[in-house]
Amino acid sequence: MEEKRGHAEPEYFMRDGKLTRRTFIQGVGAITVASAFGFAGVTATGEKAQADEAPAASGEKSVHAVCTVNCTSRCHLHGTVRDGKLIRVEPGNMPGRPGYANACLRSMSYIQRLQDENARVMYPMKRTGERGSGEFERITWDEAMDLIADKLNAVVAKDPKAASFYSFTGDLGKLSWEAPTRYAACLGATTWDIEGIMGDHGASMGMTMVFGTHRGAHDSRDYLNSNLLIVWGRNVADTHTSELRDYVAARKAGAKVVVIDPRQCSTAAMADEWIPINPQTDPALALGMMNWIISHDRHAKDKLVEESVAPYLIREDDGTYLRMADGVVVASKGADAIEAGSIGSAPAAEGDAGAGAGSYVIWDEATNAAIAAPDAAAIKAGAATPALSGTFTVDGVACRTAFDHLCDSCAAYTPERTGEICGIDAAVVERLAEEYIDAQPAGIRMGQGMQRVYHSYSPFRTVATLAMVAGYIGVPGGGASHAGGTATNKPVAGYTGPTYNYTDWSDTGKTANLVPSSLVYQAAVDHDPVPIDFLWIANSNFINMSPDSNRIINEVIPAIDFIVTADPWWTWTAKYSDVVLPATTYWEHWDLIDRSPWAMFNQPSIEPLGESKSDVEIMSLLATKTGVEKYWDKTDEEWIRQFVGTDHPAWDDLDWDRDVVGQGIYGRSDALYDPAIVYADGTGYKTDTGKFEFYTEAMLPYDDEVPTWKPPAEDPREGELAAKYPLVFIQYHDRLNVHTQHILNPALEVVQDEPLLQMNPVDAEARGLSHDDVVHVYNDRGDMKIRLFLTEGIIPGTVATQSGWTPDYFIDGCYQNLTHLTICDAEEDYSMTNSAFYDVLVEVEKA
Amino acid sequence: MADNKHYAMVIDTDHCVGCQTCTVSCKISNEVPGTAHWNHMESLDGDVLYQPTGTFPAPKLAFRPMLCNHCEDPSCVKHCPSGAMQKDEETGIVSVDQDRCIGCGYCSWTCPYGAPSMDDENHVMSKCTFCAESRLARGAEPFCVASCPANARIFGDLNDPESEVAKLVQGKHATAYQPEHGTRPSVYYI
Repeated sequence: MEEKRGHAEPEYFMRDGKLTRRTFIQGVGAITVASAFGFAGVTATGEKAQADEAPAASGEKSVHAVCTVNCTSRCHLHGTVRDGKLIRVEPGNMPGRPGYANACLRSMSYIQRLQDENARVMYPMKRTGERGSGEFERITWDEAMDLIADKLNAVVAKDPKAASFYSFTGDLGKLSWEAPTRYAACLGATTWDIEGIMGDHGASMGMTMVFGTHRGAHDSRDYLNSNLLIVWGRNVADTHTSELRDYVAARKAGAKVVVIDPRQCSTAAMADEWIPINPQTDPALALGMMNWIISHDRHAKDKLVEESVAPYLIREDDGTYLRMADGVVVASKGADAIEAGSIGSAPAAEGDAGAGAGSYVIWDEATNAAIAAPDAAAIKAGAATPALSGTFTVDGVACRTAFDHLCDSCAAYTPERTGEICGIDAAVVERLAEEYIDAQPAGIRMGQGMQRVYHSYSPFRTVATLAMVAGYIGVPGGGASHAGGTATNKPVAGYTGPTYNYTDWSDTGKTANLVPSSLVYQAAVDHDPVPIDFLWIANSNFINMSPDSNRIINEVIPAIDFIVTADPWWTWTAKYSDVVLPATTYWEHWDLIDRSPWAMFNQPSIEPLGESKSDVEIMSLLATKTGVEKYWDKTDEEWIRQFVGTDHPAWDDLDWDRDVVGQGIYGRSDALYDPAIVYADGTGYKTDTGKFEFYTEAMLPYDDEVPTWKPPAEDPREGELAAKYPLVFIQYHDRLNVHTQHILNPALEVVQDEPLLQMNPVDAEARGLSHDDVVHVYNDRGDMKIRLFLTEGIIPGTVATQSGWTPDYFIDGCYQNLTHLTICDAEEDYSMTNSAFYDVLVEVEKA
Repeated sequence: MADNKHYAMVIDTDHCVGCQTCTVSCKISNEVPGTAHWNHMESLDGDVLYQPTGTFPAPKLAFRPMLCNHCEDPSCVKHCPSGAMQKDEETGIVSVDQDRCIGCGYCSWTCPYGAPSMDDENHVMSKCTFCAESRLARGAEPFCVASCPANARIFGDLNDPESEVAKLVQGKHATAYQPEHGTRPSVYYI
């Protein structure tokens, strides 16, 4: 590795403008060089640094913000203001990691839309026509607050839980995101755990099963150490733009880049190979690769016995882990019940690292006896020789190893069967497995694209297990990573984020009633598990981004007496609300994003449009009329000043005017800026076993205790539904939109000005369809009319459209009419159902 | 002459992902008016942008970002009746003097690459400047280069044999698009 890549001591641009050198971790080959003048800013590995921010011209003012929309980048933006208007957005400096500075086409063109009075909600508005008619009249803030407070106080007097505050991911700033839910806590009202209904929770469940924590990623600079990089269901080029440079650098340094995706996504344009795969079948491919690796005796036996539950004994009678206390077998307590409603955004749901580690059992081949499972370090030191495979009897209880259960699950996935399920040649399945195990090391970057399916925990869980079987977890250039990896993306052993002073912000008197968002429709309609008599929606275009919009409009919305939406935009959701309040955007209010090792700040760079207010200002106003004003006694700026005003050493060098106001970003002087490896040496797992845990007791009732592949809810392979609606319909997040927030920034029209349906020519020919035809896409739930875009870059049998387009831009209908919310018992039992947005069958005909 | 620069750009189509950050960043950063665009995106070797060439399961998805080629023998300059279209000997940059431009559009018709773009608000021609005043003068790269998330654009001075663009061009790693037009472009493609 060293010889091939070489390595360099990176220079880091620190906050005070001086270049400092930091000791570089040997063998972790990230190289970024800050260059004051861009032309020479190219390193030996080909990663180019960003030029530093150009100074403002005369008559112009430099301003900063952090982009708070929910892609995974969180870019620090450098804006230019002239005559009170934002005219330009460029990448802002990233102290300590200059190659990460980024601004995408969405953030650049966003300033056009957010300064357009016709696109914005300008004033408090009260509905005058039918819901959805778009007929509203302007009212004053006082009138709006009186109206809302009357409704809210009446509901709260009866049952605080019947008042709901639904704040999703439209603005991930601390204040904006949390203000509505914090307000709910003050009243003891209901809030909704975000990930389920929006379709991001499968990844969290899969990660939690095996790693014990929702996230965990190798820093993308680490791919310079990879010989193969598999980008699996993740279109990084469009959805985590700031990391693409690292993928490009890795490829230039010799890594082969493979993209696995039903579509030839943008990222595939820079890859060596695109492997088209049927949607919903990624776990089958991972099982097929594992089967090939294990059957060729190429699996990482040492790593498996040391760092995973592979050698752990499983009882043959009930499938639970064998447990011993004081050397004697004891009854299994079964999986710890997960506290209801606590997964999703709540860290409490993540496993306790090694909570029950001492009670699990391995068979020690050195002593030919069952012993308590030692930790990874002890096994590496020779404390035991755990048997990877075998059948044993302990105190009369017959057991097999967890690894043998995994092998059983893989065994059916021959290259031929895998290929048949996935739509991939058997020879390609074999070649991919061989290339993956040959690479030494190979990294995998997983994306949300593969987990918007039924049994959505399976893709991340199974692909991560493949990486463990191959021995790539916890090694440089390896991993099975989820989401963005900054140096200190959790978890990094021994490192904690900076301490903020959230004491006052956390003091709400009461607590919110947190309910899984997968239950929001049934709550409204059936009052189960809570009624919804009052609904406050913020940071969310709920109708546009949730499944089955016809169901929402026809059943859910009519069941709710009073709906308030606070939003900068006239969304589909706003039009179905009774009162719409004008909210500010991230260029117009104070806020904070903790993206350790950085703290990034928003502040009013332009005057708020119309009468728009920040979420904190809005909740503070409402607080005065609902008896909780004592918790809302600060301005937005006062909150931010309090958050960073602590004695923690992270803040020693903070200079408010220079760092917060002047730069909009603070890079901690004590922070880690180097790429971090998660789970190095088998440490850091937060599972109950303290190991990589591919055997999940909680899934025993669903025959899913080891990774499996289960057919989708709407299976295109067989059955009546498949005969009626033979095509799988998926959505994808593309270059134009993060959800619905960039529709349609004027400067983006040149890129694409309407939603398009991608289809393979084979499927078009069978239906007599041509490129550019207007087509009718339908199933039993709904339909849309849309223009057809034929492409060889999509697997036959699947059609796709871009997520985020609003109904205004469809010839008729909307893509979200076609999707469904189907409760998955296994998921609901584990934590909550993840919307299977990509588990949808349709038929397409000429319109 | 020795101090003269020959600014040039190399675009790496192996790594361009077609996102059009270049198109949009140029439009906004340079405050390009009306419907004019100084950058645009085409398919590398197909007819329809975002349609790959070849057939499933191994089609090729690739892009050709287009901008003014700042040609050594620019046909726009040759055919400009008002003398508005000029080539700067000190930098090699081709620019339009909008005070002299009569908006006849000859430059756009005669440019084999269709690079000059009519400013339909002011009825004069407009075009890529390599961000000469807004960025080069301040030591920064053209914005399409700095904003490219794939680092697919390399900018530099062809007269400097040590520059990366010179090495790429001299090593024949990068070639001009449609050289048969004889205008000798300063934009090259890998």
